Amino acid sequence: MWKDYLSGYLKNNRASGLSVRLSAFIAALLLSLLCGLFYNAWKYEVERIVLEEGGWQSRMTGELGQADIENVRNYAAVQDVVVTGNAVTDGAAGHNGGAAELSVDLYFDDMRAVFSDTPRIAEMVGISQDKITYHYSLLAMYLIRDEKDPAPRMVFPLFILITALASFSLVVILHNAFAVSMSARMHQFGIFSSIGATPRQIRTCLLQEAVVLCAAPVLAGNLLGIAGSTGVVALSNILLGNDIPGRHKSIPGYHPMVLIATLLITVITIWISAWLPAGKLSRLTPLEAIKNTGELQLKRKRNSRLLAWLFGVEGELAGNALKAQRKALWTASLSLTLAFMAFTIMQCFFSLSGISTRETYFEKYQSVWDIMATVKDADVDAFHMAETVQGLSGVESAIVYQKAMAKRIVTEEEMSEEMKSFGGFSHASNQYVTEADDGFVVSAPVVILDDNSFITYCDQIGITPRLDGAVILNQIRDVTNPDFRHPELMPYLREDSAGSVSLLGHSGGDVPPHAGHQAGGEEATAEIPVLSYTEEVPPLREEYATLDYYELVHFMPVSLWKEMKDRIGGAEEDTYICVRGRDSVTLEELTALQDEIQRLVGGGYAVECENRIQKQETNDKQIQGMKAVFGGFCALLAVIGIGNVFSNTLGFVRQRKREFARYMSVGLTPREIRKMFCLEMLVIAGRPIIITIPLAVAAVGCMLKMSYVAAGEFLAEAPLVPVAFFMAAILASVALAYYLAWRNVRGISLAEVLRDDTMM
Amino acid sequence: MEILKCEGVKKVYGSGSNQVVALNGIDLSVSKGEFVAIMGASGSGKSTLLHILGSVDKPTEGKVTIDGTDLSQLNQTQAAIFRRRKVGLVYQFYNLIPTLTVQKNILMPLALDKKKPNQEYFDKVVGALGISDRLQALPNQLSGGQQQRAAIARSLIYRPALLLADEPTGNLDQRNSKEIMDMLKLSNRNLEQTIILITHDEKVALEAERIITVEDGKIISDERREVKSLSSNG
Repeated sequence: MWKDYLSGYLKNNRASGLSVRLSAFIAALLLSLLCGLFYNAWKYEVERIVLEEGGWQSRMTGELGQADIENVRNYAAVQDVVVTGNAVTDGAAGHNGGAAELSVDLYFDDMRAVFSDTPRIAEMVGISQDKITYHYSLLAMYLIRDEKDPAPRMVFPLFILITALASFSLVVILHNAFAVSMSARMHQFGIFSSIGATPRQIRTCLLQEAVVLCAAPVLAGNLLGIAGSTGVVALSNILLGNDIPGRHKSIPGYHPMVLIATLLITVITIWISAWLPAGKLSRLTPLEAIKNTGELQLKRKRNSRLLAWLFGVEGELAGNALKAQRKALWTASLSLTLAFMAFTIMQCFFSLSGISTRETYFEKYQSVWDIMATVKDADVDAFHMAETVQGLSGVESAIVYQKAMAKRIVTEEEMSEEMKSFGGFSHASNQYVTEADDGFVVSAPVVILDDNSFITYCDQIGITPRLDGAVILNQIRDVTNPDFRHPELMPYLREDSAGSVSLLGHSGGDVPPHAGHQAGGEEATAEIPVLSYTEEVPPLREEYATLDYYELVHFMPVSLWKEMKDRIGGAEEDTYICVRGRDSVTLEELTALQDEIQRLVGGGYAVECENRIQKQETNDKQIQGMKAVFGGFCALLAVIGIGNVFSNTLGFVRQRKREFARYMSVGLTPREIRKMFCLEMLVIAGRPIIITIPLAVAAVGCMLKMSYVAAGEFLAEAPLVPVAFFMAAILASVALAYYLAWRNVRGISLAEVLRDDTMM
Repeated sequence: MEILKCEGVKKVYGSGSNQVVALNGIDLSVSKGEFVAIMGASGSGKSTLLHILGSVDKPTEGKVTIDGTDLSQLNQTQAAIFRRRKVGLVYQFYNLIPTLTVQKNILMPLALDKKKPNQEYFDKVVGALGISDRLQALPNQLSGGQQQRAAIARSLIYRPALLLADEPTGNLDQRNSKEIMDMLKLSNRNLEQTIILITHDEKVALEAERIITVEDGKIISDERREVKSLSSNG
């Protein structure tokens, strides 16, 4: 019987189920996308761990002989054993045959046996328990945890949290779609109840209906979600694959268990969403239900003053109708507003971010670099290929440099008058500046340039080139002005400051208060001649004093560094080559030059290269990709709202006909009713815009303030076209929903509608 | 044999200054096979009384017993099952499920109990009500009179202890009204069906053998009378 009822109802009321179907489809799509992406992220992380750290599950180190290793290999649960270390010789003394210090990687048939069987194996071959290492990061990816693992493994908790939040958000949206569809038939369920249907029977019927409505959309949404997650992974390869040094390519994948888990999560989400209104409806008494005619009514008097003032009686009627439908249109209002707001703010954010990145990065460094090569684990004084790179065809300049961190004292007398004017070190945090007996200890980053580049730098700043001293970047910003984009720069030290400087070795720990120009305690110092105090920097892709405004940067040639490095120390691990090609160089030329540098330097060193044009293109692609993904989510959110509008306008035709018939019976013309209908449409489509605009303006205002980008500059590049397009799409969709509904309700026969009591 | 008994039934809606006393101490007893009409003006409380008798609503005070069942003791599910098996409800606006055929509407109470209909009884009821040839139609394909007959058939299909009809002719023309009243009388006589009919129309009430008049939530008169036979009535 319920089957007949359901099939009859669904057949004759396709529109009212539309919102439910659409919402279920989108919920399934989003959840499937989320689970698919999580699976691929998990898979990628496992692959990365295996590539970088190996796929072993536990490792034993100690003295082991060949016989011990054979014993381990023959252990029942062990799948494979990989031995690293010195060769094993038989026949010599040792625990079991010729023993040597070895590292043995164990792979188990069943990974879960790792924590129970590894200690047994170690005991068997006489290895101490503290010589066992577990591959916690890999094991945690398979949810195999040990209480001795101190690291918080957040992958699964994070996924559960995100999925729970997504499910909860979808329940909030979906349950309303179900409630609208179910409440439209409250009268019918009142009839069922009056002839003896129990609350459980009514609830079961409604849930069966949910199953029928949602089965196909859930499957379709899941399949599309799988395709979407595969597409996003493929997109990430296109956007990031070749351009991020050290990143391995991710291969999109899927697992049947993911499908089962996704279906389960989707079904639970939809079930809860359907259960909430179904339970509520089934608990109504037959009298309450049967008295409900399904007509939209105002619970209390509400005035639509603005609409009445603007559009007269039609405006007031439209406003009242919208208020009566407020609950039914809740999903639409919420999702359309959120979608439009998220889209607008996202577009503004990316525009602003684009301006900021362009100004602070690409434009600022446009003329200083074309190719950056990072030579891994290499010291600049031991790097002998500087001249080779500098001599390459197409290279205008190539600066080989390394960075080191030292400290130095700045005395009160050395400070410039300008610096004193904003308070000197009074604003400095103890993290960066400490007070000593004879001044202030500040950070002194050292940039060690190859000798040729240092000589060129000397020429650039107009001093006689020498290789026995350092050049000091004599510049500080007014730290009291937080505008980082337009800093007010001034001399740090007096022009007549000392002709030499003592750099304090960084590795010696905290600088003692008595530290001065002479070595104090265990602190090593290096006395370095100062060639010049300047405000010009060599053409490097480096930013100075970004976090620590009080750091005093020193440039020195590598030949001087060779003499001082033992006393200063604090050098970073890598050396950099900043290459500039000819003017107006093309991407193809840069790529060829990059390959050549990679080939030359890569022969003796591990090297990673990137070039400016490629990086800019990658950056643009990443932003476009992120915009597409976020925009896609916004569009999906909007589709839920549009679906709700369609469902509402097409699902309440009978009630609207009745409502309009009443208006017509008191003299409203069809033209006036159409005007009222149009006003409703405009309010539904316009509300998200009206709510969003002030909020977006406020959000952009905050972003402008934080980023110090001028409003005019932002307005010139404001994302008006995409926002207007999104707005127009919402308007057009809502207008279409109302147009189709109008076609259904416009042919009103007064007598028939006012008499009609059936739900057909 | 007493089939219905009301003792001191009171129904109050709202509270404080909005309080409305719909029924105020109703005592009533109906025997099996009786055809009772409850009359009263609009707002007199007659529909409230019918809802309470049909276990669709609960009294604020008092006790209602139908066929030995105390309605005040029933929870929502038990009340639904009681309605399904013991009470047939007929409304002014038919209340048929629009998406089900007439036949399925009639058989709905049995279907809710997963019971198969007694074909002979079903044929007898639909034959007597004159809708045998309209069983596969949808409610909106029937006239008002036919829809009301289908509603009566549905209310009788479980052979309930009590048939409650709320203004069953209120939405019908004179000819259809007369036919519906004849159907009710026929079921009362031939099936020994106890019927309580709510109406504000005196002419309709005169078709019953007992007329109870309600005013301001109280029974102000309860008179028994001789009823004209069906044949003499046309």
